[in-house]
Amino acid sequence: MSSITEFLEKEKPSGYTGKMLKELSKLNEELNAFNNIADSLGSGMPFSVKDNICVKGIETTASSRMLEGYIPAFNATVVQRMLDSGFSFIGKTNMDEFGFGSFGLNSTKPARNPFDVRYVAGGSSSGAAVATSILKYHVAIAESTGGSISTPAAFCGVVGFTPTYGALSRYGLIDYANSLDKIGIMARHADDVRSVFDKVRGADAKDTTSIEGEYRREVSKKIILPDQLTKGIDEDVESGFARLVEKLEGMGYKTVHRSIPFIDKAIPAYYTIAMAEASTNLARYSGFKYGYRNEDFTQHYNQFFTNARERFGLEAKRRIVLGTFVRSASVRDEYYSKALKVRRLLIKELGKALQDGFILSPVMPIKVPTFEEVKELTALENYKMDVMTIPPNLCGLPHVSFPYAYHKGMPLAAQLVAGHWGDHAVLGIVEEWERHFDYKFKYNIGEL
Amino acid sequence: MRIGLEIHVALPTRSKLFCSCRTDASEPNTAICPTCTGMPGSKPTLNRNALAISVSIANALKCRVPESTSFARKVYFYPDLPKNFQITQKDEPVGAAGEITIESGKRIGIRRVQLEEDPAKVIRQDDYTLIDFNRSGVPLVEIVTEPEIGNEEELRMFITELKSILYYLGIDIDRELKVDLNISVSGSRVEVKNVTGMKNLLDAARYEVQRQEKLVKAKQGVVQETRSYVEKDMKTAPSREKESDEEYGFIFDPDLASYKTTGIRIAKPVYASKIAKEYSKRYGVKDSALRELIMFNSGNLALIDSAKDRHGMKALITAVELLQRYASKKADPSVFERVVEIVEKGAYPDKEMMLRIEAGKSVEVHAGASDEEIDNEIKRLIGENSKLLKELGKNPKAFNFVVGAVIKKYKSNPRAVSERLERILKELE
Ligand SMILES: [Zn+2]
Repeated sequence: MSSITEFLEKEKPSGYTGKMLKELSKLNEELNAFNNIADSLGSGMPFSVKDNICVKGIETTASSRMLEGYIPAFNATVVQRMLDSGFSFIGKTNMDEFGFGSFGLNSTKPARNPFDVRYVAGGSSSGAAVATSILKYHVAIAESTGGSISTPAAFCGVVGFTPTYGALSRYGLIDYANSLDKIGIMARHADDVRSVFDKVRGADAKDTTSIEGEYRREVSKKIILPDQLTKGIDEDVESGFARLVEKLEGMGYKTVHRSIPFIDKAIPAYYTIAMAEASTNLARYSGFKYGYRNEDFTQHYNQFFTNARERFGLEAKRRIVLGTFVRSASVRDEYYSKALKVRRLLIKELGKALQDGFILSPVMPIKVPTFEEVKELTALENYKMDVMTIPPNLCGLPHVSFPYAYHKGMPLAAQLVAGHWGDHAVLGIVEEWERHFDYKFKYNIGEL
Repeated sequence: MRIGLEIHVALPTRSKLFCSCRTDASEPNTAICPTCTGMPGSKPTLNRNALAISVSIANALKCRVPESTSFARKVYFYPDLPKNFQITQKDEPVGAAGEITIESGKRIGIRRVQLEEDPAKVIRQDDYTLIDFNRSGVPLVEIVTEPEIGNEEELRMFITELKSILYYLGIDIDRELKVDLNISVSGSRVEVKNVTGMKNLLDAARYEVQRQEKLVKAKQGVVQETRSYVEKDMKTAPSREKESDEEYGFIFDPDLASYKTTGIRIAKPVYASKIAKEYSKRYGVKDSALRELIMFNSGNLALIDSAKDRHGMKALITAVELLQRYASKKADPSVFERVVEIVEKGAYPDKEMMLRIEAGKSVEVHAGASDEEIDNEIKRLIGENSKLLKELGKNPKAFNFVVGAVIKKYKSNPRAVSERLERILKELE
């Protein structure tokens, strides 16, 4: 039985929600999962919303100081569909500023890993993953551009699902890179993800790029292992992953090793497109209509903008500068246009490979890192960590991250990728896997 | 000298280009929504009617219309742009490589036609500035010409021709004519930005041409720069340059799709000046008389076309002129038919008669004077007054005096009398 049905059917003791919210607020002070928590809660299954997705009347900042005080006048389509389906809004979850990050550190109050607070929660949907890991009955609406669902879900030991690009309306999403942004779902079980997905997906007149997909539900037994991506990864990740592959083979899956042309070009192509688009999206935060209001109107025009944009975090500034550069007229063909070409090629190659199977890989080349370890990384090392999450994100392919073992108390996770519109199929494999696997959670707030 | 234009035309759609806000609100900041104010989280959705109109314009300007068209983001920081980027077109505009044939017969190339959103309106006061977002997101078509306009006269002809073509597509560019002018007298190109209205356009062009010619004559050289037109001084002045093409950093707008142009209903273009030229040749009437009637009046063109197989073109022109001058309401075809018949009998109805015709009452028609009678009367007037003959060639007042006197006597068609008089003057030369 899905935990959504279980929650709705179970008798709640009096004062249940009040107690639950209190407990959550208390733990949140330690873990920073939420940027804000609702004062009261309806009787539906609780759902949280990543802070870059608009909820009418609720401050929505994408964890950026630039957006402090922004209260949307409308609900994102996904949020509206959740409310219409009877879910109850519980709060806005923490994230890397505007989605810029893989570890959750680009936030004024970085989220912490619920298994052990010395470890990071992953990013950019850090808070969504932590919330899912600490609340017994809850689903999270998160968002991924280059791995922002897979990574935090992996680090916090929950199921993280990123649908085919266009399956879920982006209306109400504060854009990072519009051609890459995908709203997705996290939960403690794959069937909860599926149930939510079926309620919120589908074309939306307010988002031109959303469509009603032709879903392919049949589950293939062929698993493709892209060896290029797993070369030189952490030993524990490598050996854990090898055991997962063995177990899947024991369950009747056939594995093949395959190298995929151009996949090594995915990271530069991704970051080029993502930064180019991000630098245009962030232009609106200039202190005139949106963003921190610089009240000193005596300043020279250019000085005014510079000061108003000071509040962007370091990573946001880096992406604005790089993104503005790669789309400048004189280098546009060398960078931006070339990246679009690489994406087209890779979509073709991955489409061929995924015709009759799934790609399976670890989610990250490293185990869950500590805050200290992440701080040591340079920007470039940071970007390279996304080697496995970027190809499906760049190509808009549905993928799901799920925990398959625990190593010294921290989860190890893998990522399954399907061809376009194979959303239900990848979730189906994880559902099958779950029958052989026991999830572990440190907290079960709201348990009944 | 070479003049090129970038003309911005507001499209007559009820709603904006990327949202459903009205385009006709007058109270400032009342027709706004998350999309046209660029609220974080909002998304654009294309107004299909605006796309259809822009494709019709591209088609009427004889452009190549691509199979699919897409939008781009043009980034620059300015208070009138809530997103700090404008959604416009770059690689796949709705039209490219077209042309317009102006009255003189010269062809002016159209480089591209693109669909884009209008920025908000900036209203500058002494020590503060107001912004009206009602205009933000209104659909605009930008028409870019090749720098092939050679002088002020051609500039006037070009605008007239463009206006007429757009008029027949249901677009009134006088409502908001915004033009950037590129003028080069000596080779270095000067751009005069944001000139509004036909009069300012001609004034700005004249001033800028003279300014550059003076510099060239004095061997001082013209600086390649951006200038703006200062209406109160009727001058152009150097302006702060906005970003260059390098800095606009165009990228494909990923919130919008690639839109097929096949299957769009394209409005059939009407080239009134070409029709005027054809009819004047075919029926031996004056091109200018026809142009005056039909360049900006589809009703007149329809009346003429409906009756041109049954009646003479001269009579039709006269009848339309009479209706235009005296009719109290839009003429219905039966009234027009009666007027034409009366004119063909040689009569020239006055106001009173026109109103009776319009009211469906009977009128008494006297055949007008014959050409011979008119000639005799003209010769009599000239013969009586030797001073008059001297004046006639150069003084329009004298000319009109003679015409007026003849009309008074015979109730003749002024055009016919003028023509007789011109002929007689020629004979006397
Ligand atoms: Zn609007």
